Amino acid sequence: MNDEPIISWKVAGIALGLLLTLATFLVKPLGVSTQFVVTDAVVTHQVAPTFAENNTYLSKYGEPSEWTVGYGWMLILGMMVGGGITAALLRNKQPLQDQGFMPAMWVMRFGSSRIKRLAAAFTGGTLLLFGARLAGGCTSGHMISGISQLAVSSFIFGLVTFAVAISVAKILYRKT
Amino acid sequence: MELLLIGFLIGCAFGAILFLGGATSYRKILGTLLLKDMSIIKLMLTAIGVGSLGIYLLDLGGLANMSIKPTYLWGVVAGGGIFGIGWAISGYCPGTCLVGASEGKLDALFTLLGALFGAFVFAMAFPVLDAWLLQNANFGKITLEEVIGVSGIYLAIAFSMTLLFLAFFVLKDRYE
Repeated sequence: MNDEPIISWKVAGIALGLLLTLATFLVKPLGVSTQFVVTDAVVTHQVAPTFAENNTYLSKYGEPSEWTVGYGWMLILGMMVGGGITAALLRNKQPLQDQGFMPAMWVMRFGSSRIKRLAAAFTGGTLLLFGARLAGGCTSGHMISGISQLAVSSFIFGLVTFAVAISVAKILYRKT
Repeated sequence: MELLLIGFLIGCAFGAILFLGGATSYRKILGTLLLKDMSIIKLMLTAIGVGSLGIYLLDLGGLANMSIKPTYLWGVVAGGGIFGIGWAISGYCPGTCLVGASEGKLDALFTLLGALFGAFVFAMAFPVLDAWLLQNANFGKITLEEVIGVSGIYLAIAFSMTLLFLAFFVLKDRYE
């Protein structure tokens, strides 16, 4: 049974490093998490413009000049299109355990409740972006791009993130 | 216009690499955080190894459009910690939840929705957090180059070789 990803970590890692170099040459290093704020800001500007203008954080983003033609937002749109098309074409090559949204190890530990899994996913997502905006970046902007540029803040982010995530994972999957 | 197309194409490649390399797999991410499956960490080390060398080689010719994030110590540490909890709970990061959602994984979509909510909560809390965590202990946009006082290219060569050596020769999976 084939349970390895479609391309090896070597190929994926080298490709990602070269893509980062290309992006830094053409425009700037890779980053994702800012675009969640941009999306929020764009929506808020439509729904409640006064509120958005009065919020010191949202008002920094979501101006028409920033979002309708933003490079960063096109990048995350591309991620969804590129990831989605590749997934659709190569679905049958993806390991069976990695398909669907109820991972076997989750079910063994937390049961087969879909609501529980989706609630954990939503909560996790909320913490991800709150933390990423507080720290100024996520796995792409801080860890991959930031550490590659030898930025001190990104080394700190990487160390703290891994230490906490490993601890939480060990607690979640402790032997009971 | 050209810039938007570049963003979109780089995003497509980024999304495809994340999908093909198994970065949207809950099994692979949690395997990494439980320190059993090393493939995702080896992927990241390889990407940073290639990326740091690539970026600092570009920098030699003045061709790198770097983007260093400021080191405001408390915000980076607190944000990294919160991010780490979200990462372990959801099994996604902001970039992989986008790709996972485009694959049709419902938990990735919920992580994405949670992330949009988390970014909004951060925007609401920003005025308080700004004074409390982001303005204090801010060392600015520093890199190892300035801290150690050695030219970036030498650091990048040594750092890159170390990471690639770790990924290719040292780290091994540890399944029980």
